[in-house]
Amino acid sequence: MRQLFSLIFLSLLSLSVSSVHPSSSSSDYHEQLVLRPLPLSALLASFNFRSNTTFSEFEARNFRLFPRSLAQILQHAGTRELHLRFSLGRWDAESWGARPWDGAREGGTGVELWAWLEADTDEEADHKWLILTNALSGLFCASLNFIDATRTTRPVMSFQPEGDHPNSTVTNMHLLYGVLPHEVVCTENLTPFLKLLPCKGKAGIATLLDGHKLFDASWQSMAIDIRPICPSGGECVLQIEQTIDMVLDIERSKRPRDNPIPRPPPGHELPCDTSKPYHSHDTCFPADYKANQDWSLSQVFGKTIKGTCPLMDPTNPPVCLQIPDSRTVYISDGVVEKKNPDRNSRCFDIPPTADFEMVVTPPSDDDAAQTSPGAVGVLQPETPLLYAERSFTGHGQERGGVQTILRNPSPDREVEFVYMETLPWFMRIYLHTMEARIAGHNAAHNASLIQQVSYRPALDRARGTQLEVRMRVPAASTVFLTYDFEKSILRYTEYPPDANRGFDVAAAVITILNSNADKDAAGGRSAVYTLRTTSLLCSLPTPDFSMPYNVIIFTSTAIALAFGGMFNIIVRRFVAADEGPEVGLGALTGRLKGRLNGLLERLRRRTGNK
Amino acid sequence: MTPRKQPPPESPSDIRRRTHVILSFWLIILFLGLPIWWWTTTIYRARLPLQEMLEWADGKACRPVFPLRISIQANSLQEQEAQNLLRLTQHALDDLNDFSGHHLRLQLSPPSSDAKQTHDSGSALTIRLIPGETTTATLDPLEPVLDITYPPNAIPLPTSSSSTLATYVAAQLRSTFAEEQATISYLLSTNAIPSEHRPQGLSPEAAESLSKRTTRSLKYAPTYHLTFSLFTSGPLPSSWDIEAAIDEYMKPVLDVLSPIHNFTIDTQVQLYATPGVQNQVLNKEDLSSFINAAEWPLSPSIGGAPTINFIVFVGNQTIAAASQSPEDASGSESSAAHSWLIPQWGTVYLLSLPLDVTHLSVASLKQPLLTFTSHLLSLTGTPQSGSLPLRLSTLARIRSADLLLRASSTLGSLARLALALPSISIPRSVADGVAKTMAHLRLACETLGGAEGLAHARIAEAEAERAFFEKSMVGQLYFPDEHKIAVYLPLLGPVAVPLVLGLINELKAWSKRRREMAKRGEEKKRE
Repeated sequence: MRQLFSLIFLSLLSLSVSSVHPSSSSSDYHEQLVLRPLPLSALLASFNFRSNTTFSEFEARNFRLFPRSLAQILQHAGTRELHLRFSLGRWDAESWGARPWDGAREGGTGVELWAWLEADTDEEADHKWLILTNALSGLFCASLNFIDATRTTRPVMSFQPEGDHPNSTVTNMHLLYGVLPHEVVCTENLTPFLKLLPCKGKAGIATLLDGHKLFDASWQSMAIDIRPICPSGGECVLQIEQTIDMVLDIERSKRPRDNPIPRPPPGHELPCDTSKPYHSHDTCFPADYKANQDWSLSQVFGKTIKGTCPLMDPTNPPVCLQIPDSRTVYISDGVVEKKNPDRNSRCFDIPPTADFEMVVTPPSDDDAAQTSPGAVGVLQPETPLLYAERSFTGHGQERGGVQTILRNPSPDREVEFVYMETLPWFMRIYLHTMEARIAGHNAAHNASLIQQVSYRPALDRARGTQLEVRMRVPAASTVFLTYDFEKSILRYTEYPPDANRGFDVAAAVITILNSNADKDAAGGRSAVYTLRTTSLLCSLPTPDFSMPYNVIIFTSTAIALAFGGMFNIIVRRFVAADEGPEVGLGALTGRLKGRLNGLLERLRRRTGNK
Repeated sequence: MTPRKQPPPESPSDIRRRTHVILSFWLIILFLGLPIWWWTTTIYRARLPLQEMLEWADGKACRPVFPLRISIQANSLQEQEAQNLLRLTQHALDDLNDFSGHHLRLQLSPPSSDAKQTHDSGSALTIRLIPGETTTATLDPLEPVLDITYPPNAIPLPTSSSSTLATYVAAQLRSTFAEEQATISYLLSTNAIPSEHRPQGLSPEAAESLSKRTTRSLKYAPTYHLTFSLFTSGPLPSSWDIEAAIDEYMKPVLDVLSPIHNFTIDTQVQLYATPGVQNQVLNKEDLSSFINAAEWPLSPSIGGAPTINFIVFVGNQTIAAASQSPEDASGSESSAAHSWLIPQWGTVYLLSLPLDVTHLSVASLKQPLLTFTSHLLSLTGTPQSGSLPLRLSTLARIRSADLLLRASSTLGSLARLALALPSISIPRSVADGVAKTMAHLRLACETLGGAEGLAHARIAEAEAERAFFEKSMVGQLYFPDEHKIAVYLPLLGPVAVPLVLGLINELKAWSKRRREMAKRGEEKKRE
């Protein structure tokens, strides 16, 4: 079964790769939407837009498919390859299986950016990186300008260039990586993303994209990848690929927009598990896996696809649906359905100006009988190569720890990968406490788990920790990777406005290496699968922010008391109690009376004079 | 009341010690505390030559004078005759001219054997006197040369004090430079230049059209970024031969402008672009909101150079005839009906096409690009009359005057700012910028009218802007006084009370002691 799936994937991949070749100028733009229902009434929608521009056109600044605003930034910042990710939510690998695109088109929560810049020195690269992040920040309405030196790292093992770079430029290409886990991705990031497309959101599959649905998804990732591609014997092209992956909860999406409060369905509409012995007309065991298996495009996305983008390569079907052949799908008039020979996917050719609507019917009872419960009528999800979970350990405001649980589900294959952490400088990690151990085994087995460590320690307020660990997880086993850290105390002005919320710690990036390939020329090994853990929320000791004023007033009072006392002691003269001037209430009233009398006397005298 | 017991008299050493204690506290406060406080909290203000800066802004430091040398080439005339003609023409010119800032100075260029001798680069214009049938004047389209033909009897006699030919030449010169003179005098009049340098004869209409033209043109920059965009309301056309079209229709003008400006070019195609106004017929008000700034990717280029946008919009909208300004309508009829110029921004050209055109050829781009070219000249501020080379040299002079005045007025603003806000900090870089600006202004003022003057004026303007917009000058402006009170009062209040009271008591005791001493002294005397 799994092999079959990988075969499908490979064939799809080869299909798309073949269209990359700039054999004819009409196929320079390619867009495709792949819909794949997932277990537990989820729906994965993968939008992919890709266009090629020849280097000569790019250098001459004649932009047709490539967005001019982005090209200016790339040229100004000397960027050779760029990857930008906006992500939200969590991919539930346990129920949804392997990630789309093998994890290559997704980022950790927030914004992630990595790029290869052409520069002679590190300082020049830093300068160009600053230009790049500031310009992109303006273009995408994101806080990318906050990727400063403390959030920028230069990974050594985790990332390899995807494009074809000539050997002359590879030597002075600098990889810089920055991540903003706190950034909330929202509509203002989607609008500029859609503006980069040749057909905007006005025609083709992009008409489905809508901020309300996209950011309501359980998981979504927007990606922009720009890389040079040099086909053998052809002119080099600059490829821009924009990808949006989203997992929609079908039930949630089907709620009417004007009345979004969920309500229980009436009794006769409840899908019941009829196999239960107690099932009768008045008892029902709800079969939730059967619910919400029927949906249509307009129900899930709120609208239909409006025609196709006229620039699109006509040989590629714009919409594909990965669902068993046994399911029935109704489509609009004029649309041609093509079932693929693998019996598990079908594609649709849409006429250029017609609207495209698709209605997926609920699975028949035969389907339910064939497959396992929980995944009725949908394709069995592919098991990922590795499961990863990361969490905080430790207690108190000072000491903490990080524990990552890495599980290899394969019964017979070892997994080798690079685990990368980018930690903020105020998490001071103790590298000597880092250890990996296999669950349920004694220490003897743990020695060879960590194979290589690349570590760049943090400098306070100047740069963050960069930790890359090349390690392996044996077949069918679970490995715990743990390390301890110390939380440092920040300065008053370094706390954000919502200091008690905590500080986001970027997702760890796990790059699974190709096990049977030899090292390529650059010394790196190609990645076969990438996954990211969730981001963490680290709470630091947070002071009371009225503190400075309290401190000022408290110390001032103390100093004033001490000073006043001391000054009086050395200046005043000490006499016996009955020798000094009269003190107390009586003396005060007597003095006041005397003053008053004097005043009255003076007044009387003045009136008498008149 | 029972009389209280008096304490025993204090010993003089105790009194002296107390005085010393109080004195030493106050001395420490005055001579150590205050200077330290002053030194640590004072705002750094670099010394600025404020008086000199204000002088520049008022136009007292530099009197912009454009001496224009005009050489007369008269190969067919005798040396004596030519000198005489030159003298008479100069007289006629001086009679006509009422603006001392813009002065035409004639000179005789040595007669050369070659009739087609090229123009002398030191002078602004060359007059070629050629014997002919009647008196005519034509401007050479490629070189700054004015050809004047004269009938043989027009040569003035050495004794005559006036000549029709001389008057004619003077009038021709005057009309050739009329626009430049008007523009420069307009520039001077809008800035605070003392009126004695200003000509009087600028009519309100002329001033209005000049002000329109100056507001229209972009700020001077050495490099302009040209963006050509094809916007279509539907899916077609999706490609165009813009590169070839630019090469054919626009490149010649760009090449001519290249001594003054550099240009970088990029082009883009955008489908499904909806304009800001959907009306079929566009009124004058619609033209300003036609650009859909929210959706059209017309972001200015990064890297400092200002961007000029040229937009071809494919759609079937038309411009209402009434909305065309008379100036546009006076141009070619077809271009005025399809395009309009947006001041300091660029041009929009409406192109209506049959629905099924997928590709715009060079031929169909001819009219838009010719319109763009003429609008580019007015966006860069090129004068409208005269031959192209003459217009360009005029442009250089107008630009240097403009930059000079701009830099001077920025200096004035900076000086006024420094005077108006005593709490603003002035970092050293600002003082450096001001010094550099003034040095270059002085150089520009000396070499006004040449290429060197333009370069100096450009540097001066850039430095002045940088000094004025220095970032660190803004920060301390908003340090509130309440904040200072909140920090100082809790400490200084309680400490100051015993100190001040101690001082007052001591002074009282001292005066009392003196009075007693005086009394005792009197008593002693009496005894």
